Amino acid sequence: MIRTALIQSVRCASRSVTRTQLPASRAIAPCFSVTSTRSTPAPRYPGIRYYSAPAGLSKPEVEGRIMDLLKNFDKVKDASKLSNTSHFSNDLGLDSLDTVEVVMAIEEEFSIEIPDKEADSLLSIDKAVNYILGQPDAH
Amino acid sequence: MALAAYRHVLRSTQVAFQGDLRTLSAARVEARSKFDQNRFLSPSSTEAEQKVLEAKEVARILRQNVVQGEQVTGSKLQEQRYQLRIHEEIERGNNDSIKKGSSLAAAATGFCGGAR
Repeated sequence: MIRTALIQSVRCASRSVTRTQLPASRAIAPCFSVTSTRSTPAPRYPGIRYYSAPAGLSKPEVEGRIMDLLKNFDKVKDASKLSNTSHFSNDLGLDSLDTVEVVMAIEEEFSIEIPDKEADSLLSIDKAVNYILGQPDAH
Repeated sequence: MALAAYRHVLRSTQVAFQGDLRTLSAARVEARSKFDQNRFLSPSSTEAEQKVLEAKEVARILRQNVVQGEQVTGSKLQEQRYQLRIHEEIERGNNDSIKKGSSLAAAATGFCGGAR
């Protein structure tokens, strides 16, 4: 009884392993043959897999990207006041609608969606940086 | 309240005008100017509440009832062909009136795909 159960579980495990490996080897082969026979140059993205682990964002990088974004934001009048801890409205002279726009721009920059509740609390650069650093999906 | 509405409108423009920078930025400028117009309203007034509701409606319509179409190039019927981008949030009508189909007039009132 135990033996059969064991064998079954081992079989299952080996099956699932071979299954997950198959697409990886299959993915690269067809894309060569397909591109040669294709007449229209429509973009095609074969199922190539990237196995690299997601590299987390570093704090200086996040800061730099948010600062660049604010430098290019035309409503920031005094760019010299930009620092790691600048408050959007007190230091940079942005009103509440501008702040919403900045937070939206940050969302788009890091391709994440910040829920309303958190978005309302992001009022300074360091808060935004810390929030982004806490998001595993941000990139 | 109003800020959340503004955020929703901006998000909706992103959904509705994806990849269309010119329209996207125009829509955002328009949204901004509308919100700026009513800047003086006190947040507790009914008028402000109405405006916020209006903004939410705008956001909904942008999301559900605006379909992007791109002209298909390279086909023989170049002028008449458009590729529509119907994303998952677009409102789908069930076209019940078409199934009844008893008279032409009934069919004419049915709308196609919810894109009114």
